[in-house]
Amino acid sequence: MELDFLATVLLSSLSSASILLIATLGLAVVYGLMGVINLAHGEFLMVGAYSALTATQIGLPYPLAIPFAVAMTMLIGATVELLIIRKLYGRIFDTMLATWGLGMVFNQAAVLIFGTVSPGIGMPQWNFQIGDYSLAFYPIAMIFVAAVMLAFVYFLMTHTVYGMKARASIQEPQMAQAIGIDSSRVNTMTFAIGCGLAGFAGAILLPIIPATPSMGLFFAVKGFLTVVVAGPVALTGSAITALGLGGGASVTASFMTSVVGDVFFFLMTALLLWLYPLGISANWRRKL
Amino acid sequence: MFEKLHSNAGLIFPLIVAGAALAFSGALDPYLAFVATSWVIFGLLGLSLDVIWGRGGFLSLAQTAFYGLGGYLGAVIAINFAPSLGLSLLWALPSAAVFGALIAAALGYLIFFSRMGELQSTILSYTFTLLLWSVTQTFKIDIGAAVIGGDNGLSNIPGIILGVGEEAKKLKPNAAFACVVFISAVVYFFTRWLMRSNFGKIVDCIRIDIEKTELLGYDIRKFQVLNFAYSGAVAGLAGALFALWANYLNPSIFSVQEALLVPIYVLVGGLGTLAGPFLGALIIGALSFWLGGGAAGGQTTLILGAVLILLVMFLHNGFLGALDNLWKRYLPDPNDAARDAGAVKIDTEVLDQILSEAAEQAGPAKNLSTDEAFKSFGGVIPVNKVSREFKPGKPYSLIGPNGAGKSSFLKTCVGIYRPEGGTILLDNDDITRAQIFDRVHKGMGVKNQKPQVFGENTVFENLWIAAFARTKDRAAADETATRILNMLGMEAQKAVQASALSHGQQQWLDIGMVLCLAPRVVLLDEPAAGMTNEETRELSLLVRTLAKHTTVVVVEHDMEFVRTLEGHVTVLHQGNLFAEGDIDTLRANDAVLDIYLGRGEHV
Repeated sequence: MELDFLATVLLSSLSSASILLIATLGLAVVYGLMGVINLAHGEFLMVGAYSALTATQIGLPYPLAIPFAVAMTMLIGATVELLIIRKLYGRIFDTMLATWGLGMVFNQAAVLIFGTVSPGIGMPQWNFQIGDYSLAFYPIAMIFVAAVMLAFVYFLMTHTVYGMKARASIQEPQMAQAIGIDSSRVNTMTFAIGCGLAGFAGAILLPIIPATPSMGLFFAVKGFLTVVVAGPVALTGSAITALGLGGGASVTASFMTSVVGDVFFFLMTALLLWLYPLGISANWRRKL
Repeated sequence: MFEKLHSNAGLIFPLIVAGAALAFSGALDPYLAFVATSWVIFGLLGLSLDVIWGRGGFLSLAQTAFYGLGGYLGAVIAINFAPSLGLSLLWALPSAAVFGALIAAALGYLIFFSRMGELQSTILSYTFTLLLWSVTQTFKIDIGAAVIGGDNGLSNIPGIILGVGEEAKKLKPNAAFACVVFISAVVYFFTRWLMRSNFGKIVDCIRIDIEKTELLGYDIRKFQVLNFAYSGAVAGLAGALFALWANYLNPSIFSVQEALLVPIYVLVGGLGTLAGPFLGALIIGALSFWLGGGAAGGQTTLILGAVLILLVMFLHNGFLGALDNLWKRYLPDPNDAARDAGAVKIDTEVLDQILSEAAEQAGPAKNLSTDEAFKSFGGVIPVNKVSREFKPGKPYSLIGPNGAGKSSFLKTCVGIYRPEGGTILLDNDDITRAQIFDRVHKGMGVKNQKPQVFGENTVFENLWIAAFARTKDRAAADETATRILNMLGMEAQKAVQASALSHGQQQWLDIGMVLCLAPRVVLLDEPAAGMTNEETRELSLLVRTLAKHTTVVVVEHDMEFVRTLEGHVTVLHQGNLFAEGDIDTLRANDAVLDIYLGRGEHV
């Protein structure tokens, strides 16, 4: 096997893994800090993509469309938290069912508003060569975006007042309340940030994955698996799991078909869960 | 009269409804009969989820996977056999049910034998369905006359044929409806019987308190896998009926929209009621039938999504659950008896007799010993190389300040915590790595710090399920449970729900359950908490009598209680053995006083 082919496969697999991480991070934040699995996460991603698409269609340049998408999804996320999630604290499976229903509502609403097919926006046409192979620049740039996103979330959680309150609320909810942290407001914020990250993912990935009402599902499924395999230390765990599983599945897919890649992903998760029934980070000492 | 009707409501009303459906099936409009057949099939699918979720406590989102797989297999078999032999049902249904059960058992083995977290299990089951959805899109294969064509689906599935041979014709819609109602009724009544059998009682206990069920010695993993397999069988059977009804299948049977419907049926009807899913499917089906033709038709998914949110938030008990609560208000409350509970009076003669009989059946008392047992949580080491032997004769008390590692030591012995080092022996049997239920089989009986009782069950049922774990025999379990019940002086509270008891009474019930196991080693964690002075005296008598027949280890904070036990006392401090002796020597020991009062160099 030639070196340039190997490098190409590795680089594009790393890029797929990064894309998975970008799409999953919001889910991981909500799960890690609220203990809630948001089954509508994929649909928030879709809302972000459509928001960015609509913004570019009315004339906004793409770099400005991204913050618009983030603002939209954060707003919707905060509303959902206030109206639904808040009523279901401590009932994780009810929360899952409710967000599942919400996802279907979003999905169907998108079908009604935008139809099932919509125009993509062109990918910046920059390519570069590795040996005989030509690679598109934009997907490779996602490796960098994923790293920046991870660093941003880490900074948000460790170096801001909100982050400290959020971590306090999840570790000792009663103690956090006793020292005056309004944990329900912190939770609204956390949920909004999680949805905002999903919106960001939808918008930044728009040139690669065109907006369709069901686009979120593909990512969401892998995202759910990534987060539960990661376990309680959601952030670091998800980063490692996304790299391992996403990269592995992508390598498999590039040698065989994408369906085989999906099957590989599922079987690997099943195996990991067999070995670590509560997630790989169940016994870690770090908490973020 | 009404109480009897209430307790048999799940038998009588479904019987009336099924009878009426059969009687009037001929009079229905054929098109309505055709559509209504699908509602009954969806009810059956909902029933499969109710078995595993409402009863087993595991929210499985893989029911449509078993349903779809059963449907595909049933269809392939029906296509190949029915044209020449007729009788499509006989070929399709059993094979689909067995297939559904096998797939569910395989998935269940993965989930339950690895003791996967609840969230992990649910997500894995969901992705299993979605994986099938993606794989079947491109999956093409010809099996005999059946052509599975990826997203083109599988067509030419014969209808429901009851006749034999080539000439047999498929049933007309009305007869097909009657046939499906009959099959569903049979499945429903069998499921109801199963859920009320010993198997169902244990499944219920697993849902209510999985740890306690295992502490009674039941191999919970087996029951969970079996229950899941049964639910898979029901789903597979429903899938085959659906294939014969629709004459066509495609991968959308594995879709999210399809999967979403199942919990909706269950929640609308009432979780855990078994009959509820049928009602739920009927309500949802009828609504979309009469409303869906018009403007709302395209928005079914939108409406269903909203319905699911509202159900989860506002009507968690569903239709039948709400009806049941309403009905119960007009029935006498069996929990009233909890208020006039008598005092517990331990009769040592009766207890001696029970315990010596237990010794005859279960063998002599065993020694429990630990050798360098070690357990750590991150930087905290609650059990630090503890070596100690416990023998029958006199009770052992473990004392020590909060955080000394007393409860952790007991939990390590029981297997709730897995030790990282050292060995734990029951006589000469190394049980360091044994499963919890296995240790209970070998003779351990445990009461944890918090009283663990099955709150939804009655006092008698609680004792019975514990006795049944050992005797494996209905009559013997009845007898043991009755004797312990009488000894605890709780005859009047026999039919009271355990959750209605006071904290002290729950402690007694929990201890009673441990006695029902006839354990050879008894571990009690703070048994006197929440008891009155009189009750504590009775408890002391009970523990002393118990120690004559078995090995007893008690963790306790109540020093007066420890003194009355007149046994060996071991002081633990920061996970280490700190001091030993009888209570009076320890009282005079300065170091022990230091760690309790937090002064001096030993802190």
